[in-house]
Amino acid sequence: MQSLLILVPLVCLMLFNLPWKRGVGQAVSFGAGLAFLAAQAAAALWAMLSGGEPFADPLAGFLVFKTSADGLTWVMLLTIAVVAASSLAVSRAAFTDEKDRFYFANLLFVSVIGMNGAALSGDLFTLYVFFEAASVASFILIAFRRGMAGLEGAFKYLVMSTVATVLMLTGVGFFMLAGAGTSFAEVRAACLQSAHPEFARVGGLAFMAGLFIKGGMVPFHGWLPDAYGTAPGPVSVLLAGIVTKATGVYGLIRLTGSVLPMMPEVQTLLMTLGIVSIYAGALAAIGQSDYKRMLAYSSISQVGYIVLALGCRTPLALAGAVFHLLNHAVFKSLLFSNAAAVESRLGHNDMNRMGGLQAQMPWSSLSAVIGLLSTAGIPPLGGFWSKVIILLALWQAGFHAAAVLALAASLLTLAYFLSMQRRVFFAKGTETGSAVTEAGAAYLWPQLALAGLTAAIGIGFPFVYRFLLTPIQQLLW
Amino acid sequence: MNPSTLLIPVFLPLAAGALIFLLAKAWKGSGAVLSLAATAGMLAVSALLFGKEGTAALPWAGFGLDFVCRLMPFNGFILLAVSFFAFCTALYAASSLKGKSIAPHFFGFLMLSAGFAAGAVIADHLVLLLFFWEGLLGSMYGLIAMGRKDAWRTAIKMFVIVGVSDLCMMAGIAMTGHAAGSLVMSSIHLPVEGLNTLAFLLLAIGGLAKAGSMPFHSWIPFAAEDAPLPFMAFFPGALEKLVGIYFLARLSLDLYGLQAGSWVSLLLMTVGAVTILLAVLMALIQKDYKKLLSYHAISQVGYMVLGIGTASAVGVIGGLFHMLNNALYKSGLFLTAGMVEKQAGTTDLRKLGGLGKRMPLTAAAFVVFGLSISGVPPFNGFFSKELVYDAALERHWVFYLAAVLGSFFTAASFLKLGHAAFFGPAKPEHRDVREAPWPMLLPALVIAGLCVLFGVYNTLPVHRFLAPAVGEEALAGHHVSGMPANWMLVAGTLIALAAALLNHRYGVKRSGAGLGAADHIHHAPGLSGVYDRAERQAFDPYNHWTAFVGVLSRILNAADRGVNALFDVVSVSAAKTLSAGTRRLQSGAYTAYVLWSMAGLAAAAWWMFR
Amino acid sequence: MTVDLILLGLLVLAALWAVLSVRLMMSVIGLAAVSVAVSLLMFRLDAPYAAMFELSVCAGLISVIFFVAISFTKRLTAEDIRTHRKERLRKTVWLPFLLAGLAILLVARLKSPGFAPAPDPGGDVRTLLWGGRHLDLIGQIVTLLAGAFGVVVLFKEKNR
Repeated sequence: MQSLLILVPLVCLMLFNLPWKRGVGQAVSFGAGLAFLAAQAAAALWAMLSGGEPFADPLAGFLVFKTSADGLTWVMLLTIAVVAASSLAVSRAAFTDEKDRFYFANLLFVSVIGMNGAALSGDLFTLYVFFEAASVASFILIAFRRGMAGLEGAFKYLVMSTVATVLMLTGVGFFMLAGAGTSFAEVRAACLQSAHPEFARVGGLAFMAGLFIKGGMVPFHGWLPDAYGTAPGPVSVLLAGIVTKATGVYGLIRLTGSVLPMMPEVQTLLMTLGIVSIYAGALAAIGQSDYKRMLAYSSISQVGYIVLALGCRTPLALAGAVFHLLNHAVFKSLLFSNAAAVESRLGHNDMNRMGGLQAQMPWSSLSAVIGLLSTAGIPPLGGFWSKVIILLALWQAGFHAAAVLALAASLLTLAYFLSMQRRVFFAKGTETGSAVTEAGAAYLWPQLALAGLTAAIGIGFPFVYRFLLTPIQQLLW
Repeated sequence: MNPSTLLIPVFLPLAAGALIFLLAKAWKGSGAVLSLAATAGMLAVSALLFGKEGTAALPWAGFGLDFVCRLMPFNGFILLAVSFFAFCTALYAASSLKGKSIAPHFFGFLMLSAGFAAGAVIADHLVLLLFFWEGLLGSMYGLIAMGRKDAWRTAIKMFVIVGVSDLCMMAGIAMTGHAAGSLVMSSIHLPVEGLNTLAFLLLAIGGLAKAGSMPFHSWIPFAAEDAPLPFMAFFPGALEKLVGIYFLARLSLDLYGLQAGSWVSLLLMTVGAVTILLAVLMALIQKDYKKLLSYHAISQVGYMVLGIGTASAVGVIGGLFHMLNNALYKSGLFLTAGMVEKQAGTTDLRKLGGLGKRMPLTAAAFVVFGLSISGVPPFNGFFSKELVYDAALERHWVFYLAAVLGSFFTAASFLKLGHAAFFGPAKPEHRDVREAPWPMLLPALVIAGLCVLFGVYNTLPVHRFLAPAVGEEALAGHHVSGMPANWMLVAGTLIALAAALLNHRYGVKRSGAGLGAADHIHHAPGLSGVYDRAERQAFDPYNHWTAFVGVLSRILNAADRGVNALFDVVSVSAAKTLSAGTRRLQSGAYTAYVLWSMAGLAAAAWWMFR
Repeated sequence: MTVDLILLGLLVLAALWAVLSVRLMMSVIGLAAVSVAVSLLMFRLDAPYAAMFELSVCAGLISVIFFVAISFTKRLTAEDIRTHRKERLRKTVWLPFLLAGLAILLVARLKSPGFAPAPDPGGDVRTLLWGGRHLDLIGQIVTLLAGAFGVVVLFKEKNR
């Protein structure tokens, strides 16, 4: 079944763009996209709950390529489906032009294929190729409106992404110097028993550095606030929610969790970067007055937690990292959907010119509150559990200082989010009593669904732990 | 008996209460109807259950906290009494609150209180007991707060006093559970020694505060003025004593074995004696019907605490018997107060007088209750008091003296009250006052009948209700029913009563009116100053504590503000500076971004290959 | 070896030229020079097909397209050129030093700058990278598709 997750969207994409009579492809793309993403989420859930795929690959006999999947793959596929579906739903409201919607759906499909391919690949080079597909789609999506700001954001992302590409390819090259090939197993073998272990280390560092850029770790993050801040609403949902996570962060989890062996230097490096990102992101977020840029810095800060857990490198920490990735995808797409809704009503993102929207947009305010509470790790929402697991893993592994620092950063998280909520919704301000109306259903439903999801993850934590996180703990070697 | 029948007296009123709150808007009369139905059901079930034993357990909060209720001889008659008084109150309130806007909520809270009280009586798990205990606190708060406009002040006062004592009780429960290794009450039997003494005292505080004993009494006189009248009849009059004294007795007899003559026993007896005397002295000088009664509600608790504190079988049975008797005549007295208030429009004794002719049945009921509470033979109060005297004298004559003195003042204050309200010259403005309506009168008359019955035929309550609780074998060799065996004690009581009568005549002669019958005591040299200060609430421990807490909270507030300022200034400015720094770094030039990442890479490479 | 190093040096210089020059025309020439150097290196590394492709497409065809595009733009004034050049130098000047330091660190650490290949797994790099990896082809196709959409989206007529 795995290959279908790559081939079906590819075939769909080609079918949409055949020269049909006017509007057929456009009319079908939205429904087909939602249907496919729902099917993907269902398949991933099935695989997690039953421990096997819903059905065998019908094309297995014909295909010349091989995919691979494990517990982490299914979590990623589920997350990709959830966030992409939210983004698609928001795009319905954000783009009024029929053609814009169509192109957005097409590019979303490209991006989804790229991410699915990356999640299903068992090879570092294949990983790179699919990252590239997702990234190229992202460049175009950021500049989708062709405004100056969007083009600038896209250009910065392009430049930094190219640097990342160079670094990753360098890494692949060094891995090949050290060993037999680039599949995870071969690289792992090369790291352990190569005649040139230094090459493997250089390769690991270079590949990691590329992933740091893709994932937006401080100080490799320069492109991220500009890209998130300038992209159109649904694009920031997709980009912040999943693209950078399914490329950079997922790559890091794979590389450090199941490819590279235990290296104390790498551990320290990851933990340092994690702490630096957590604090730099949070501190920068406090000073922002642009809603989306603030969320972007918050993203950096949250990714810091994931990387910090990766540096800990225990089974529990790995599970915590993946769980935080899932949670982050849910609540950050929720918050970016919220930002998109507010932006659609006000036409700007400046928090200093908002204020008092609580009365006009009560539902948006509610979903923002849920999102920010989950981000700050308030029980019983999903974000609480993943942070608890990460802190617990850090403490158990003996990294007490890191655990305390990470816990203290939660206060900063709460600080900038409460300030955001006050400035946008609760406090009296420019918009008090203005004629702004609540965002439309297409904005609200994805938000409320995601809010429900983050609450459900938190309340159903025992199930999540049993079915999602227990298999992941065995990935570490 | 099906054990789950036991849960009916708890859940039936609770369900009725919830329903009343739901229907409050839709069906105005729902409160009275549902309350009457629920309390009648409760009473019937309690009567059926009386004399039986059984345990009902439901799984509850987990962690071994099961919903365990146990019916046994010790609490069966108290459950019956709680149900009986709940029913009487519902009947009475149905008439007295008719058409009043607070009626639905009153009935709602009343039903909740009845359910919680029944639960507290039959709970067999200390945590479950605490749950009902706190529930009762909450519903009492509601009942007081709905009274007059400023009643919430009294409600808060009650909440603080009883709440703090409940906290003590909570600590006691934790210590008991730790010492006994179980929280199931039937399996706890500890001696009062070492740390257990502290646990016992903490638990006793919970019971004493619920019963309204000194020094946890000071909210009751205010509630008498502020709360709805049926509340006064039901709570300080009957239910609180039933629940609080039940717990105190269970504590001293069952959970812990209180040793006669130990200092804890003496402490309890002292609390009882002091409560009797101080409260009755305050009652003596009151000029308001309800307030006078409220001080007696405190004073009478003293007899029960004194009886239980003796830790002898006779004393305990006397205390419990007095609890039953007191519940009867005290709620009866409050009911007469309610009738007087409703018919004459006031309870201020200065404006009342000669109502006996207008309201003969009310007056007759009052006389019965007055004779009962003063301990005149052959009314019920006499017999229970004799038992307490007997046990007290066995310990020390001081306690006996205090109890008899209390009796003297009680009789004096009721002579004054009756004289001022029902006898003496009629006031012209009361010409049109009529007898109270039957639904209000009926509970009072029934209760008056019970007072006579429990007195004349005291073998019934003593041997049917109380003896099984203490155990017949413990009473062997003691003469606890019928006329008291010790004629010296009876003589002492009669002398005290006669003295009270003479004192009354002297007072009336001196001041010229029934109301002034106690003025010579009030204004006696030495006493008058103390009285003045007491009237100004100078002795109210609540006031001292709140004043102390006020100062403490101001100090803490100042400290807190200082710390806050430190955090506000230091942490906020640090965050702002750092934030501005990171923002300045984000210059927007992609070359800078590339440079940073390369610098990061270089640093990482140095770290890994140094 | 020496030739390789010289070519690498030229490559870096040409790249810097492309990045630092203010006039687009000069940048394109620098880019073409980079492509030529890369192509020569590929010849020397025994990859003639890649070298031919690099030379014809990157150095030739793409440069022509750039020249056509530049012919539509406006020339910068002398003042603009001066300010831009200064700023660009200031921003970029640290990068080569940083990269050089990195390279020195790595080379010194790795000790075997001869790039002696690892034990040969059988088959050269081409088969290694492309032999059994048709999954990558799908990725390439998708990337190309994304590029196509990019052209459609970003260069479509603005006022319809």
